[in-house]
Amino acid sequence: MVKSQNLLTEVESKALLKKAGISVVEAKLARSKKEAISISNEMGFPVVLKISSADVIHKSDSGGVRLGLANATQVGKAYNEILSSVKQAYPKARIEGVSVQPMAPPGVEVIVGMSKDAQFGPVLMFGLGGILVEVLKDVSFRIVPVTIRDARAMIREIKGYPVLEGYRGQKPANIPALEKLIVKVSQFVEKNPQIRELDLNPIFAYPDKAVAVDARIILE
Amino acid sequence: MFEEKLKEFEPIFYPKSIAVIGASTTSVKAGSAWVWSLKSTGFPGSIYPVGSKSGCIADLEVFTNLRLIPGEVDYAIVAIPRQSILELLDDCVAKNVKAVQFFTAGFSEMNARQGYKLEEQMLEKARQGNVRIIGPNCIGVYCPEHKIPFPVGTLGESGSVGFLSQSGGIAAKLVTIGIARHINYSKGVSFGNGIDLDASDFLQYLAADPKTKTIGAYLEGTRDGARLFNTMKEVARVKPLVVWKGGRTDAGAQAAVSHTGSLASSAVVWSAMLKQAGAIEVHSMEELTDTLLILQQLKHWQGTRAAIIGGLADGGGGNSVAAGDACMENGLNVPPLSPRMKQKLSELLGEVGSILHNPVDVSQAQFRGLETLFESIDSVARDTVIDVILIQEDIDILLPIYARKGLEEINDFFIQLAGRQNKPIIVVLPHGSAESERIQIEQRLLAASIPVFCSMERAAKAINNINRYSCW
Repeated sequence: MVKSQNLLTEVESKALLKKAGISVVEAKLARSKKEAISISNEMGFPVVLKISSADVIHKSDSGGVRLGLANATQVGKAYNEILSSVKQAYPKARIEGVSVQPMAPPGVEVIVGMSKDAQFGPVLMFGLGGILVEVLKDVSFRIVPVTIRDARAMIREIKGYPVLEGYRGQKPANIPALEKLIVKVSQFVEKNPQIRELDLNPIFAYPDKAVAVDARIILE
Repeated sequence: MFEEKLKEFEPIFYPKSIAVIGASTTSVKAGSAWVWSLKSTGFPGSIYPVGSKSGCIADLEVFTNLRLIPGEVDYAIVAIPRQSILELLDDCVAKNVKAVQFFTAGFSEMNARQGYKLEEQMLEKARQGNVRIIGPNCIGVYCPEHKIPFPVGTLGESGSVGFLSQSGGIAAKLVTIGIARHINYSKGVSFGNGIDLDASDFLQYLAADPKTKTIGAYLEGTRDGARLFNTMKEVARVKPLVVWKGGRTDAGAQAAVSHTGSLASSAVVWSAMLKQAGAIEVHSMEELTDTLLILQQLKHWQGTRAAIIGGLADGGGGNSVAAGDACMENGLNVPPLSPRMKQKLSELLGEVGSILHNPVDVSQAQFRGLETLFESIDSVARDTVIDVILIQEDIDILLPIYARKGLEEINDFFIQLAGRQNKPIIVVLPHGSAESERIQIEQRLLAASIPVFCSMERAAKAINNINRYSCW
């Protein structure tokens, strides 16, 4: 079982990733409703609020995520609702506050993650986000260090690859940007052996770039 | 690459002398069996049985202690209880033995804590005394060129396929299947627990060995994954490497928090590693030997466009359709023949009752004579839209129509065609009721270097495996 101090919050995780040159939707921690509203005003609407607690592993399942908040009133209301529903789901959770971030425009959802194999050490995973990862397990793996050539192959290996190429008139995702992101994540975990597991989930792949919308780092 | 391994492994695969420890003059023990095997295969060096009682085995004097052997000992095969192992290692060091192979089992594979401890002690002694260890829990080396068999095993012909296996049972089976299917090995090794020399060492040796052109491996796990991964990457660059990973379903149920952790079972990580290293992953003994067979026969070949020829005498319809499916589903293309070729075939065979597309049903040749059959097959083989020719030969149908003599002529033609065509000719001989005739034909074709498979699926999969390697 993971001890809560080993689980970095979204804000902490994203800060580390950003430093490593991986694009993230930056999130700021708000410790009160007032702070949440003022950060939202600074960032510009719409925003997303998420519970920030190392004890809450499944944020959305416990009602800890609210998307597309269009103004200060909605942010304030969402703040209260998030806190009360998380407290119900995790009565013992120590809650830091909520993270505030701009609502990213929709893109193709993908996941990049890392876990450690007993025999081969850190391995990276790539897949399309959401149900495709969880139900269909349409994912590919490579051992770290992952080269750009490996990254190319692992993206093309998944069955859902045509979705990234632009399906039914959708614009294609920027695949080279995803390849570079994977290589950067590989370098990041190579330099930080104290990281035990990592999920960038989801990453939004756009025609021009790829940005991690949520991130979680678990330390050894 | 890894040239230094050639000299280091010389006493292992080409020893001048072998001591067998645990040879008994009275009872049938593994050690005695080894002495008999080495003697009967005609091992060219000295064989020194070592046992607790003096006497003779296979006309060879039994020594009561390794140190009493008059000559030098390059390689020692050890089949004594594990209680005496450490003492024996002292003897090996004193005798300046280069490498010791332990058949003895009952180490970390059985009792983790005690076993690991004993293995550590063995390793320490070996390192200090400059002795290399193979095993424990293994049947060691197979080298037909130097007449070293596995215990109580026969020696096949010497060839170009090298293999390594963590399991002795699978190593022994590879040899017997090899003998049956003309897969000729340069070297093989079963290395068991691999406490000193492990998969990476043997891979490096086989990569350097000039006799080995293709490498097959059966592996269950590794104690040094990073080294194995890096070694495979280098080895696969110079020689085709086919790997069967055993124990795939034993997914370590770790408490994973991330999505990635919950999806990264040991089996998928191994598959990813093999892909990344450029190895060909296979999933069964059949697929391993099929792939080694085809790599042995078709070096430096690749191609995906298959012509399927069926109905040599009859029964071409449904079987050809099924054969087409088998090829397409296993990564091959079955393109239509060129219009010129179709025209030629229609002149030879007539339109009625023939399929002149691809798969090609040549059954109408039965009414026009063998020459027509041969000319039809020859034409298909010449078509430039085709890379490889797969022939379905059903003995159960051919035998009643053409009798033994006709059957022989047909297979003579295949051998002759394979000899003058630079495209591979592959024959599929399905099992049936005329099994003894089928086996005879299989042996003849294999001896003529024509790969033979018992189903189209297996043939197609093996061809696709070569293409996977070439594409990498």
